[in-house]
Amino acid sequence: MIRSIRGSLGRFLAIMGIVALGCGFFAGLQMTGPDMRDAADRWYDGTRLWDLRVVSTLGFSSEDVARIDATPGVEVSMPAKSCDVMMSLGDEQIAARITSIDVNATVASKVTGRYTVASKDARYLNRPMLREGTWPKAADECVISADAVGHFKLGDTVEVLYSTDNLNDTLAVQCFKVVGTVSASDYPYTASFGSTTLGTGQIDEYLYVREAAFIQDLPYTQVYVRVRGAEAQLSESSAYEKVVEKVAGRLEDREGELARSRQDDLKLEAQTKLDDKRADFDAQRADAEAKLDDARQQLADSYSKLEDGETKYASGKKKRDDGAAELSRKRDDARKQFAEAEKKLNDGKKQLDEKEKELLASLSELDPAPKDLSSAKEIVASNLEQLNSGISQLDQGINQLKQGIDGLAQLKDGLAQAQDAVFQLEQAKLQLGPAWTEEQEQQLLAAKAQLGSLQTQVEALTTQLGDNPEAKLSQLETQRQQLDASRRQLTAAGEGIDQLQTAKTKLQSGRDELATQKAEANKKLDAAQAKIDDASAQLSNSRTKLDDAWTKYYDGKASYEQNRTDADKKFADAENDFAEAQRKIDEIELPDLYVLDRTKSEGAVTYHADAQRMDHIARVFPLMFFLVAALVSLTTMTRMVEDDRIQIGTYKALGFSTATIASKYLVYAAAASITGAIIGTLVLTQVLPSVITSSYSIIYAVPELKVPLPIDPVIALFSGGLGVGVTLLATWGAVVSSLRSTPAELMLPRAPKAGKRILLERIGPIWHHLSFSWKVTFRNLFRYKRRFLMTTIGIAGCTALLLVGFGLHDSIWDIIDRQFGPVVHYDTTVGLNDSSTTANVDAVANYLTSSTDASHLVRARQENLQASSAFYGNKHLRIQVIIPQDSKGFDEAISFQDRLSGRRLDFSDDSVFVTEKAASLLGVSVGDEIELYKQDAIGSAVGEPQRLRVTGIAENYVGNLVYVGCARWSKIGSALTDGKDAANPVFSTIFFSRGAATNKEKLSAGLHDLTGVSTVEYVDETIKTYRSMLSVVDKVVVVLIVSAAALAFIVLYNLTNINIEERKREIASLKVLGFTRREVYAYIFREIGMLAIIGDIAGLILGTFLERFVVTAAEVDYVMFGRLIHLTSYGFAFGLTLLFAAAVLVMMRRKLDRVDMVESLKSVD
Amino acid sequence: MAFVEFRDVRKIYQMGSVEVHAVDGMNFEIEEGELCVIVGPSGAGKTTVLNMLGGMDSCTSGTILLDGSEVSAMNERQLTQYRRHDIGFVFQFYNLVQNLTALENVELASQICRNPLPAATVLAEVGLADRQDNFPAQLSGGEQQRVAIARALAKNPKLLLCDEPTGALDYQTGHQVLKLLQDSCRKSGRTVAIVTHNSAFTQIADRIISVREGRAKSVELNATPVDAMSLEW
Repeated sequence: MIRSIRGSLGRFLAIMGIVALGCGFFAGLQMTGPDMRDAADRWYDGTRLWDLRVVSTLGFSSEDVARIDATPGVEVSMPAKSCDVMMSLGDEQIAARITSIDVNATVASKVTGRYTVASKDARYLNRPMLREGTWPKAADECVISADAVGHFKLGDTVEVLYSTDNLNDTLAVQCFKVVGTVSASDYPYTASFGSTTLGTGQIDEYLYVREAAFIQDLPYTQVYVRVRGAEAQLSESSAYEKVVEKVAGRLEDREGELARSRQDDLKLEAQTKLDDKRADFDAQRADAEAKLDDARQQLADSYSKLEDGETKYASGKKKRDDGAAELSRKRDDARKQFAEAEKKLNDGKKQLDEKEKELLASLSELDPAPKDLSSAKEIVASNLEQLNSGISQLDQGINQLKQGIDGLAQLKDGLAQAQDAVFQLEQAKLQLGPAWTEEQEQQLLAAKAQLGSLQTQVEALTTQLGDNPEAKLSQLETQRQQLDASRRQLTAAGEGIDQLQTAKTKLQSGRDELATQKAEANKKLDAAQAKIDDASAQLSNSRTKLDDAWTKYYDGKASYEQNRTDADKKFADAENDFAEAQRKIDEIELPDLYVLDRTKSEGAVTYHADAQRMDHIARVFPLMFFLVAALVSLTTMTRMVEDDRIQIGTYKALGFSTATIASKYLVYAAAASITGAIIGTLVLTQVLPSVITSSYSIIYAVPELKVPLPIDPVIALFSGGLGVGVTLLATWGAVVSSLRSTPAELMLPRAPKAGKRILLERIGPIWHHLSFSWKVTFRNLFRYKRRFLMTTIGIAGCTALLLVGFGLHDSIWDIIDRQFGPVVHYDTTVGLNDSSTTANVDAVANYLTSSTDASHLVRARQENLQASSAFYGNKHLRIQVIIPQDSKGFDEAISFQDRLSGRRLDFSDDSVFVTEKAASLLGVSVGDEIELYKQDAIGSAVGEPQRLRVTGIAENYVGNLVYVGCARWSKIGSALTDGKDAANPVFSTIFFSRGAATNKEKLSAGLHDLTGVSTVEYVDETIKTYRSMLSVVDKVVVVLIVSAAALAFIVLYNLTNINIEERKREIASLKVLGFTRREVYAYIFREIGMLAIIGDIAGLILGTFLERFVVTAAEVDYVMFGRLIHLTSYGFAFGLTLLFAAAVLVMMRRKLDRVDMVESLKSVD
Repeated sequence: MAFVEFRDVRKIYQMGSVEVHAVDGMNFEIEEGELCVIVGPSGAGKTTVLNMLGGMDSCTSGTILLDGSEVSAMNERQLTQYRRHDIGFVFQFYNLVQNLTALENVELASQICRNPLPAATVLAEVGLADRQDNFPAQLSGGEQQRVAIARALAKNPKLLLCDEPTGALDYQTGHQVLKLLQDSCRKSGRTVAIVTHNSAFTQIADRIISVREGRAKSVELNATPVDAMSLEW
């Protein structure tokens, strides 16, 4: 036996290897699921994770907790307070769940192993494992997840922004310092810690805080329960479910009782509070009434005062009016008197004027003719003067004339005398001759001079007097009389003027007097008027004051009335409130109590589902390996039997029984396959689960099992048995088919298989163009059907596995590449909270467009709901409904398209588009109806379903979404959002592309300052998260590719080996014919190459289907993997297989070279 | 110098610790155009001689010459070329490629050498013009052997080597095959060497080499070879 193994070590190893791979892979994959479950169970039990969680819509009091604790089957229970909140650290905003924890218990606990936290306090459940830092020492300290994606770090101070309920009614502390990190078995799934109605609907972080961080009055929100006897069972196994279900049932039976007592407690509490409030209110109301009465009294007082003032004012006004009337009468009288006086004066004046005119007329002969009185007077005076001077001149003339006449006469006398004297003296002189003395001469000369002057004088005078001076004199005398008459006349006129002037003056003085009188009278009147004016001013002043007072009064009255109304309204409101409060108290419903088991914990369920997914994959994949293993064993053993043909014939001829002969081969096959099965199982049950669970540790906090991993004997035996069984069956088949021949036939070499024409030859043109060696190749391909089939299937299997590997890789990365390329165009989402208004959204949009280079802004409304359909059974799927504001413009953010055809789907106001994964889960297609439900705090569907007819299925990979046109939404939105969306929904989410220049931190900071902004999500952050999650599956892919490669190699090597073995003679013939080495390789390898290519192609087809199956099995509800395998992956799978084939062929060249012509062609003697 | 020369050729196999002298100092010559029959009992080393002469096997010592080339000194590659161009082989069990028709089997050989004879013509010459599209399995033993001969001849070899060509044939077809070989020698002047244990065949030969215990016991020339058809055995 050992000899035969040693003699065919290659064959032995081939069978061993393939069985090792097959069994190992099967057992390894099969055990991965159980290993995962085992790890989880150890952790859950080690940290005393709850089996049941009881939540109530109205919370729990300590009494309630005691009641639950007392339920039979409940081993222990622990209450806790918790709430879902949005938190922020810097710019980052995430949804978090805050849960209270008994810090004394945590501090006393100790992590005692990979899975266990030891504590003396049996009531201490869900024990988190402290990884870093310390437990919270103060109310404002917290511990966070050590396994989360890493939003917060140790030492950070995180702020609570808002909560599902009123934050101030829930949390006493709203800012926490992170002092430690923990791994909590309550949150095994680290990619999402659960669902919530906040933010993106997913909890990204959990916090444990001291109970003091919560409002003291806040009732416990949940009670965790450990079920007696559940620990002994594997978590979530059916045995476990059975134990837990029983207690859950009991708790559910008590739900009514628990709910009623909770209701009573709450009612009593609320009633007491309300009554207190009522009393307070009544007191307040009395106060207010008193105050109002005072105000009213004051108003009445000021009214009567005002009335008095008004009377006084009226009398003052009357006085003033009387005074004014008298004054006006007086004024009229004075005016009349003055007018009369004036008239008199004017009459006088008229007379005077007439007189004047007469006078002036009488004086008109005067030169110059006087024009008025004053000039007349002057003129008269000057005329008079002239006249007087004329008269005096005349008088003078007369006098002179008289005097001249007299003087002449006198002169004439004197002359006569002087003539006498001169005569006498001349005589005397004559007489006295020279006795004449000088003196006497002088006397004579003087007397002669005198006589000359006298003679001159008389002559002058006579000349002067002219002729007839007496006539002249009488003429002058007449003239003088005339002048006297004129003078008299003038004098009279002058007197008249004077009189007139006096009269005038008198008139003037009369006038002046009148003026004076008038002035005086006026002065007096004015004084009176001034008095009246004063009175008026005073009156108007008091009027103003009165008016002011009135205004004040009316204001006061109005405000009083307002106050009154307000107060009445307030009282009425308060009454209403009280009534409402009372009604509410009366209406305090029985709280809804939920008894939730671990299947309602997202983390545990996801983990469990992943473990089950491994089971699914484990069910399909190894089949490929077993199939190939069976093929390899069959061919190998057939060959072995073939080789021993003559020996078998001899044995048979010698009379050995079939069983005896077969036993040799069966033992051989058993030895190889059992060895292989043992080695494979031992190795791969350690390696595969380790690799896979360590990959899963990226998204699960569940501690990995330590190597050596437990080996499930059932699975090991089953897979080993299957592997060995398949091999033995194949061997048996080969032996039996040989043994069916007679010994004689067996003794002869097996007749070469006859050549045959193949179908291709009938296509003349092709066949004739084929080179000679190709013809052989083609004929050979179809000649050895079994070999053809085996090789093809073997290679196809490898290619298929490779393709599944690469295809899975594609599918996984397509999630990111397709989702965030052709489907999603925005890179940032800003969400505003529920209470924001359109104006808030406008402000945000405004900020984005004006302060950043953001573009392609699109608004929509987002709502987290639950969906179901007629095909989905009684289950519900968490979905997000998106209602675009502008149906047409929404493709700026998201492209709707049909995945297969790539056809764009037009979204309108009436459209209802369901994403592909959601549609396939719900089993709906276009034209079917989906049902939408509201979601309550713990994520169950509530209320009446709203039905929508699906109008399109849109390509989408991440998340389950339903896009509803706003016209459609307006019909159902109200019912799904408690009426919030009734009239004008606020499109409070903005999708946009932030510009290249926009820094994320700055953007977050800027947005955070705007009212209502609750979430800012960056697509690249999401991508990062997905990348880390998906890299898990990628590792599984690597495992797949490596095993497929190993498989491919073994299969190809084995098949090629056998192929050459069987055709040694033919090869030798060729060599003898002088074929060069290369030609021989070509001759043989072309055929194997063809087989490889055909197998390869078949593998691609097979792999496409297999990949689809695996992808569907591996998918989670929330994500759709890419459904298309990339061309490059086909290329890789194809190329790698060919590469393995080529490698095998290179190795086979030596074998071909070693084919000995002489030995092979030896005549059979 | 003769066309074929064997000078003190030895072939020693090492079977464990025992040396087996399959050919032990073989000396003979064959002239060009001769029909030579190498005859001897089983195990005398005649097939080994043929294999060495055909370039399928190498000798341990000694010199093998064909038409002036030293076959015994050739390396693997030269031997391949030698087999390809200079040698035609006919085996007892024909060694036709089962998956090729008669014509294709001939073409298989003729396509690789320098001056091949037209395959169809050669096949017609061996009397199988109407069977050329049949697969070996559809032909009788004699017909198959004739295809094998045609395959060897189509290469237009310098030397045609036949190892028990009639060994698997009945009397009648044996004659036909022998006749064919004789004709190819006589008509086209090809040198033919036939290995057989049947000494009756010596009558048709120009030269008879008797081999025994790895040595050429005797080399006789036959001046009057008989026609193969008249041969009796």
